[in-house]
Amino acid sequence: MLETLLIAWRESLEAALVVGVLLTYLARSGQRSGVAYVWAGSLLAILAALACGLVSNDAASRLDPDLQELVQASILFLAVAVLTWMILWMHRNAAGLGGELRRKADQALVTGRLMGLAAIAFVAVFREGLETVLFLWGVLVQHPDLTALPFVAAGLAGAALAVATAWLFFRGFRFLSLPRFFRVTGVLLLLVAAGLLVSGVNKLIGLGYLSPIVAQVWSTAWLLRDDSPLGTFLAALVGYRSRPSLAELLAFVTYVPLMLWALRRVDASRRPAERASARSAA
Amino acid sequence: MAEDRTIPLAVEEAGFAPAEIEAPAGTRVRLEVTNRTPAAIEFESFELNRERVIQPGQTAAVYVSGLGPGRYEFFDDFHQQRRGALLVR
Repeated sequence: MLETLLIAWRESLEAALVVGVLLTYLARSGQRSGVAYVWAGSLLAILAALACGLVSNDAASRLDPDLQELVQASILFLAVAVLTWMILWMHRNAAGLGGELRRKADQALVTGRLMGLAAIAFVAVFREGLETVLFLWGVLVQHPDLTALPFVAAGLAGAALAVATAWLFFRGFRFLSLPRFFRVTGVLLLLVAAGLLVSGVNKLIGLGYLSPIVAQVWSTAWLLRDDSPLGTFLAALVGYRSRPSLAELLAFVTYVPLMLWALRRVDASRRPAERASARSAA
Repeated sequence: MAEDRTIPLAVEEAGFAPAEIEAPAGTRVRLEVTNRTPAAIEFESFELNRERVIQPGQTAAVYVSGLGPGRYEFFDDFHQQRRGALLVR
């Protein structure tokens, strides 16, 4: 039963952390209109995961497993694209949120951005939610009577624990000053996006479409095991893996500096505008 | 690179069958993992850097390549008593 709880915790943690960082960012930056969309995307994903999990138990309706994996990889790359776009506009927005301006009424988000938020939440929750549903369904199959109930309860408790873990983690963020908060959430989102990109690359390698180039560049398992609590947490948050292939590392070291460069460009183009808006506000 | 080597691997209630598989170093290995249990499994290996959820009755292809000699353990993440290993020589 403890194993059931731990598995459900691990499976749900990534979703809880991604939704957590979005909600934390939106609440602190006063963009409450986005909060509802993140919740809507998450709830829709839970329903979709339940529906898909249950439907896919009917053998005839199953997709070929390798095709399913390819679809998952494509969704990951799409999520990276949407998240990249969001990181850039969030960064641009954060500039206008310093000091007094922040206290203004909620900033209205345009529909496209709201849909982007909902889509990211949906993908994060659906991905992990489907695995949790399949896992718990298996528990039900193996205990076809009332003895399954404690296991299902343990599974739900594990998912609740994942939400609690994310909540506790992001509570710590309230102690950051606003500029530091934006910097930290920005870097975190960037690493989340990089982690999703690496996961997508990993899937393509596992499917045989992409060469790992070098199967294992190094192993940090002696320092941080993948299945240790911290290893699990970092795997969920930023896609930590102890034995990355060269192809995965290349994806990471291409994406992160490119994004840092793009964010710096936003900063550079923002400064004159910021001064102008500060003048007009005065 | 040498040609692909396909290795069938079944997941049964009792565990992986066979529990140990072998492959020569440097080959690209296509593991054909079949879930012969009534519940979903997750084929997972930190040492091979792979994970796949596989539904009952389904077979998934999991490629691993460029491995040096050694013992690479894998397990069913949903039922952790099921463990096995790939021996690369």
